[in-house]
Amino acid sequence: MEDDQRQELLKLFRERLTSAVRMYMENCTRCGLCIEACHAYASSPETRYSAVGRAQNIRRLFDRYFKLSGKLAPALNEAIDLDDGWLDKIYETAYTCTGCRRCMTYCPFGIDTQTIQGIAKMLLIGSDKEPKVLSMLSDMSIAKGQNIEQTKQTFAQAVHNLESEVLDMWRSEGGQEAVPLDVMGANVLYVALAGKHSMIPAAAIMNAAQEKWSLSYFEAVNFGAFVGNPQKTREISQRIIDEAVRLGVKEVAICECGTAYRVMKQQMGELPFEVISFVELMARYLREGRIKVDRSKIEGRLTYHDPCQIARNGGIYEDPRYIIEQLTGEFVEMQPNRAANWCCGGGGGLVAMGEKDFRMKSAKVKADQVRDTGAKVLATACENCHTQLSDLNEHYQLDVKVEYLSNLVAEALVQD
Amino acid sequence: MIDKLFYFVTVPMVYLAVAWAIVGIIIRAVQIWRRPRHPFTLKVFEQRSTLLGRMPLIGAIVDVFTMPTVRKHQPLFWVFLGLFHLALLALLVAHLDLLPQINIMPTGSKHMLGYGGVGVVLTVSVLYFMWRRFRSPVREISVPADYLLLLLLFLIFITGDTISWANSWNSGGFVIGKPEFAAYLDGLVKFTFDNPRDVLYGSHYVVVVLHVLLANLLLLLLPFSKVMHFFFALPMNKLRRG
Repeated sequence: MEDDQRQELLKLFRERLTSAVRMYMENCTRCGLCIEACHAYASSPETRYSAVGRAQNIRRLFDRYFKLSGKLAPALNEAIDLDDGWLDKIYETAYTCTGCRRCMTYCPFGIDTQTIQGIAKMLLIGSDKEPKVLSMLSDMSIAKGQNIEQTKQTFAQAVHNLESEVLDMWRSEGGQEAVPLDVMGANVLYVALAGKHSMIPAAAIMNAAQEKWSLSYFEAVNFGAFVGNPQKTREISQRIIDEAVRLGVKEVAICECGTAYRVMKQQMGELPFEVISFVELMARYLREGRIKVDRSKIEGRLTYHDPCQIARNGGIYEDPRYIIEQLTGEFVEMQPNRAANWCCGGGGGLVAMGEKDFRMKSAKVKADQVRDTGAKVLATACENCHTQLSDLNEHYQLDVKVEYLSNLVAEALVQD
Repeated sequence: MIDKLFYFVTVPMVYLAVAWAIVGIIIRAVQIWRRPRHPFTLKVFEQRSTLLGRMPLIGAIVDVFTMPTVRKHQPLFWVFLGLFHLALLALLVAHLDLLPQINIMPTGSKHMLGYGGVGVVLTVSVLYFMWRRFRSPVREISVPADYLLLLLLFLIFITGDTISWANSWNSGGFVIGKPEFAAYLDGLVKFTFDNPRDVLYGSHYVVVVLHVLLANLLLLLLPFSKVMHFFFALPMNKLRRG
């Protein structure tokens, strides 16, 4: 590695050193408590797949370049030079961690490995070694925002083609559009994913609740966050923010996508509208009696997987459970659950990257957890989790039906 | 020559080490304080809304002093961590009690606070930490500095134990007792630059010098070491609490 490139990378490193990250860098005691927190370690077990194991790959660079002790006595903390070989280790830090932050609930100081992982991702982007699929997908999202006028008509046509499927789930009132677009002054701007699975049930539910809503032209998923590029993360979210402001909506409801929810809710600063998860919206409709569901639709025991970015990192624990209570009397909790729940192993961009071998190997503990419930239906509220859990279901022969909460609600809607 | 070396260790080096540690700690704190704030919350949400969850600062203080995550996941480690930190506090108080102006133990007592038990608790705790660090999986994530720090602490505590217990075991009574240490520390506090050898008589003075030397080394290393978590445990836990 040329020195110029190294200096450029160290500049990127320095830019990520907020006061919080600097504290995280300097104060880990390597007590090892976090080791057992990681699903990847619990499934392997290899310490390189632990929070501290991953963080050490970055901390050793920090010691080398940002601490006097690393310059005077590098061996003491195993400080290491940044070179091409070490970038491979950094890749491990960046893309074997799902950013679930379960380790934070073990660490006596609450060190956030995801922020350290963010440095790793930034260094890989700076050296052009990030997973190209994630960069490409985030660039496509940004390009869509820049050329939205040219794609609007195509999108509207595609949405129009879905209307019959929405009407199959819920027969709308006369004059009500099944999937409304560009509704000025809507109460809710619903931000879906690219697939119809995240549009049709949600549309049926909002129509059943007689909500004044509008479907966003943009997909919720934020590949900028997965690849670890804060600028792209912001640009991708900004498209939705601009649309919400243009329409003057009161709330932006993010579909069942954990990262999209957390990015919009927590990382975009003050916004002129409320950001909610679609799970919260469904629970509200049920509480207010705006929708009713048939309690006999679900057959067999049901369990729920708390998506990390919605639950531990978003605080939404009780709403999904309230929804499930309305849907079935055969709910069984996973152990552990809520903030202590095991990550599914598919977040942080791993699902989008493929990485199936690693995902299956690193999530054995999750598969065991699901199997132990004896459930026949496995519900969740996140696209990544759904994909990963479906893969685990097949790989470990769990014999469960993996479902989105929204789909369960939509299929159980009671039409008066 | 050896007398000069002993004098350097027990007087000038103490001042240097203390000043170095204070300046180093301040520099470290300023380095962190001057960095930009993290652009978004780093909070982890509690399982259910609790009283501590609604009061993040109080919650963080409770986290720092009770280490609930350690208690939950590794109870034995928590016991030793608790004992270690409580004993450290007692050790600090015991050393302050050596000053003639402070009299927690009765004035006439020859013993330090805890009658030597504080040092034993610390020594045993550090031995447990060492044992734990030499075992998998903690061994795999440890670096030389982790072992050296524990070794340094162990040596400080074992020399402290020797001073404390050797006094008790001497058939001729206390060789160096609380009043003598009080005179030494009083001289340090008042910057008299007196030679401690004048008041700390007895055959194991060399152990005292070694104890002070090791403590000086700890102070010199402190700003560069993970002992700094003492100062940052609260703000880090506050970040987790939101």
